[in-house]
Amino acid sequence: MAVVSIPGGGEVDQLYADTRELRLQGFLLFLVSDVVLFSSFIFAYLYLRNSGQGWPPPGIARPPISLAALNSAILFGSGATMHYALENFKRGNFLRYSSLMLWTILLGILFLCGQGIEYTTLYFQDHVSWAGSGIFGASFFTLTGMHGFHVFCGICYLVVLLLQSVHGVYDKNKYFGLTAGTLYWHFVDVIWVVLFSIFYLI
Amino acid sequence: MNLVQIEHVLAVAGGIVVFVVASIALRNDWKTPGMDNQVFKLMLGLLALGGVLAALAGLGVIGKA
Repeated sequence: MAVVSIPGGGEVDQLYADTRELRLQGFLLFLVSDVVLFSSFIFAYLYLRNSGQGWPPPGIARPPISLAALNSAILFGSGATMHYALENFKRGNFLRYSSLMLWTILLGILFLCGQGIEYTTLYFQDHVSWAGSGIFGASFFTLTGMHGFHVFCGICYLVVLLLQSVHGVYDKNKYFGLTAGTLYWHFVDVIWVVLFSIFYLI
Repeated sequence: MNLVQIEHVLAVAGGIVVFVVASIALRNDWKTPGMDNQVFKLMLGLLALGGVLAALAGLGVIGKA
């Protein structure tokens, strides 16, 4: 079978190269569909926010920015470790890849813990809840909760990828699963850039 | 130093580290071809922006407490 080069280095057979392109397009379409899902919620939130009198509404506490900023740095840091994990896998440095993947998973878990602390503080100290704080509570918990669910799914996905790579499912030239995992994790980071901006910065 | 101040310091440090690491990765990947790498570049750029936002929020320059 004919051997072809793939973007980013490496040589694979023609069949793999063809199916890789199709899988990549399919995965990007999946990410686009997720962008549409988040966009609809984000635009609904912005519309509601700008049609009220003041934001957050009177009597409702604004989520603390210090914890959110730290949590954001943790999640963005996990994006960087994930990127370098993939780079090290491509170069055949499996030990460094594994440690960076573990760091990514750990930082993802830390982010979820931070979000848990934030939810607990908002609920028990500031009495902000999903159902009892009007549009603000509903949109805040829906959007950040949906993002948190994506982070949770991402962590499960990365654990599976790590186990697969330990068992030799991927090699230096055939690693599309890892590329998809990295794309997904970056997507989760990028969505948080938007959510962090609209809930805490503006 | 109380907990909130520690959170601020860590956010600034983390944001700066993320910005530097993402910028270096973006520069290294700048000439890499392929559809997935183009998406990676876009996402690394946004990741670097996120690092800047986290650092500025940690410094108290942007955002409302």
